[in-house]
Amino acid sequence: MKTITGRNINWGRVGSYAALLLFTVIYAGPLLMLVNTAFKTLPEFMKDATAPATSLGFKNFVEAWTKANFPRYLTNTLIYTISATTIYVITAVFVAFPIARGYVKGANLLLTMFIIALFLPTGLIPQFQLMLRLGLYNNPIGYILLFLINPVGIVILVNYIKSIPKELDEAAALDGCGYFQFIIQIVFPLIQPAIATVTILHAIGIWNELVLPTIYLTNKDYYPITRGMIVFQGVYGSNWPTLAAAVLIMTLPMLILYLVLQRYIISGLTQGAIKG
Amino acid sequence: MYHFGRGWARLLPYLLLLPGILFYLLIALGPSLATTVYSFTDVSGLPGVPVHWIGLNNYKEFLLLGQAAKDNYAIFGRTLIFCFFVTTIQFGLGLFVAMLVNQPLKGVNFFRTLYFMPVILGAVIQGLIWSLFLYPLGGPVAKILEFFGTRSEFFGGQPTEAFAWVIVVQIWANMGMTMVIFISGLQTIPSELYEAARIDGASGWQVFSKVTWPLLTPSVNTNLTLNIIGSLQAWQLFLVLLGYRNGTQVLGYTIFAQGFGQTSGSVTTSFRQGYAASASIVLFFIVLVIGMATQYILRRREERILG
Repeated sequence: MKTITGRNINWGRVGSYAALLLFTVIYAGPLLMLVNTAFKTLPEFMKDATAPATSLGFKNFVEAWTKANFPRYLTNTLIYTISATTIYVITAVFVAFPIARGYVKGANLLLTMFIIALFLPTGLIPQFQLMLRLGLYNNPIGYILLFLINPVGIVILVNYIKSIPKELDEAAALDGCGYFQFIIQIVFPLIQPAIATVTILHAIGIWNELVLPTIYLTNKDYYPITRGMIVFQGVYGSNWPTLAAAVLIMTLPMLILYLVLQRYIISGLTQGAIKG
Repeated sequence: MYHFGRGWARLLPYLLLLPGILFYLLIALGPSLATTVYSFTDVSGLPGVPVHWIGLNNYKEFLLLGQAAKDNYAIFGRTLIFCFFVTTIQFGLGLFVAMLVNQPLKGVNFFRTLYFMPVILGAVIQGLIWSLFLYPLGGPVAKILEFFGTRSEFFGGQPTEAFAWVIVVQIWANMGMTMVIFISGLQTIPSELYEAARIDGASGWQVFSKVTWPLLTPSVNTNLTLNIIGSLQAWQLFLVLLGYRNGTQVLGYTIFAQGFGQTSGSVTTSFRQGYAASASIVLFFIVLVIGMATQYILRRREERILG
């Protein structure tokens, strides 16, 4: 078919855009509804749930922020995420490097041991019994301890370190560089892309975790944001404008992080899924 | 060859490796293996209660005894139904969308970013966003359904209905992952093959079935395996959207509910952790059998296609 200008209409292209638009509605729609609701008053919402908000008031956000105990929960989540991710990444490099280089006996066996856990049954119950006996139940330190592992991260690091020439180790050692110093000053900077990927993969996992805080933390003062949000939903379940504002507050940091670090995030989560 | 010295210095790698390995053994591998042992006991989640070895009793109760066992078979069935629908739809949509955004069209980066977004949000946000989107009293989807002369109670409806909507949210939340894996697969297919096919006058369908589909085999395998195993183990959206509601439970949720109490907010059951451990082992075997069968089929298919 010809248009007035004489160019062919590419129906495949039109169809593609139509399909993309449909998926965009399905993917952006729930978010738009959330944003819109967060700016409405409760009577407005009750009258017509989908009508556009008429004013840009931040009342709901203020209410959610104060009533949901957000400052506390957000601080907790930040503390858990940052401390566990930092400790994990550092210990993980010290595990991955000698395995990748064969500097420890049974390096392959060790790597297999990390991979195998991905297929075994969940260890939730023995883990709980252990924590209970160690007195680490309902204890922030104990909670952080649960996040000091991530087999997938080890596998990603090992693969990346293997791509760094071994001659580097020899040259550095000849210059009098020690093992610890070599890892800290040479390996860490060289494997930055892999570290970024693993850090993000691990941090997102902790940030979003719901099951472990439900199991291990009973004191409200220790709740991370996920658990706090579920509690808030229980109380404010029918007041959607306030609840939507709360959900938006919780979503925004992740969303901004995602837009800024998209490349690392997608590669991290995809590698995490594939290796998992 | 180790270059960083001898004697004490040779032990340094071992020493520095130790913390990571210890954490791993203590928190992950050890507990995982110990689940089998715990499944033969009546251990509870309450401190100070004596533990007894009860042999296969947990398994007997879980699989053979009375109404509870009947309910459990319904739970197995539901887990498999969930797995079937999530896997097939997510796989199909993921492939379709990957091919859509892999074309040289305007704004494809935006679309990719948007479709992947839910993956980073986690079950709590995913669930709450959809609870609102599916608001039954005049929410957007309710209005669309009304326009088509139908209605739904969504998550508050009959168990089957609520269950179906959880499938929808699960697919929405994870389709982006399937899409990204397919995109990276599509990008490994050399463009000369497409040009050659076009010169030979192949139709769109022929190009797909003779070039794209066979050459996508590695990503097909990855995605099918991930989707099947992932959906067999998934249950967190049920926790956020429905709670432990009769007629909607899947096996992963049953393990949690038996071991740690019924709902996210309140602690109600007796923390039957030995029983929950036996359920974990049953789930492990279901995943193992289905996972191995899938691997076997996929490998044979791969040999047939790629020779």
